[in-house]
Amino acid sequence: MSLQAFFVAVFGLAAIGFGVAVFRTASMVRSALALLFSQAAIGCMFLAMQSEFLGVLQIMMMATEMSIMAIFMVMFMMDPGGLGGMDMSHQKRFSIGAGVIAAGAAFAVALMSDWGPVTAEAPDAAMQTRELGIEMLGRSMLIFETAAVTILTAMIAATAVAIPVREPARNDDKNENDKEASR
Amino acid sequence: MTPVLIVALLTGAILFGVGLYGALSQTNLVMIMMGVELILAGALVNLVAFWRFLHPENYAGQMFVLVVMTVMAVEMAVGFGIAIARFRAKGSVEMEEAGDLKG
Repeated sequence: MSLQAFFVAVFGLAAIGFGVAVFRTASMVRSALALLFSQAAIGCMFLAMQSEFLGVLQIMMMATEMSIMAIFMVMFMMDPGGLGGMDMSHQKRFSIGAGVIAAGAAFAVALMSDWGPVTAEAPDAAMQTRELGIEMLGRSMLIFETAAVTILTAMIAATAVAIPVREPARNDDKNENDKEASR
Repeated sequence: MTPVLIVALLTGAILFGVGLYGALSQTNLVMIMMGVELILAGALVNLVAFWRFLHPENYAGQMFVLVVMTVMAVEMAVGFGIAIARFRAKGSVEMEEAGDLKG
């Protein structure tokens, strides 16, 4: 087994282990941190697969994203520390079945497909970054712009949804305020 | 067939399965979003492995990874927006109490 296969397997196992831990711990903060470690391990897998730019991007993006998620968990959960031992899951048997079937189908496709010839050497990091930049600002410009506009739209929509609805001022209050102002 | 490609694809498959289990079994909106994040992470692993081992000369593969990362960010933004609105209106983000969100 090559060194690359070893590191991809180690980081893959770490990603799976932390991914499972997300749904096994009672503490919501631990769940968010486990997801953060899982995503960071995936970023390390990308680095082991010589995809440096995407690996660093994955680690940076997910570190921020999961930290925000941890804050939201503490804000919104009834028992963020998991001290009450609440069970916040349902239809477990169905969910396990669906997960196993989906993973099994993906396993079968991965093992039974003929993936064709495999390239041994990848371009170096500087070349990758340069070529990705040319791809983004050339052939894939429309996709890149669409992604940017989609994120902007989502940010505006999420902010609009989250802002509380202002209740209209009652006429009685308004009249009283006017009287006080005239005095 | 390279073992590294297969290891990466199997990792992606297991992450997808774990994420699907989480998205279907959890009752809290933020936990469901965590499951969806794991599903998308499984897809990301597969995409990077396909780019690296099958078509490293074609950078549309890396572009596809960036698009999936965008989908992850958008899912988080919209999900948290809905969570805040729901928490203000009902005081909870438990999805078992959110039957009124059905179309």
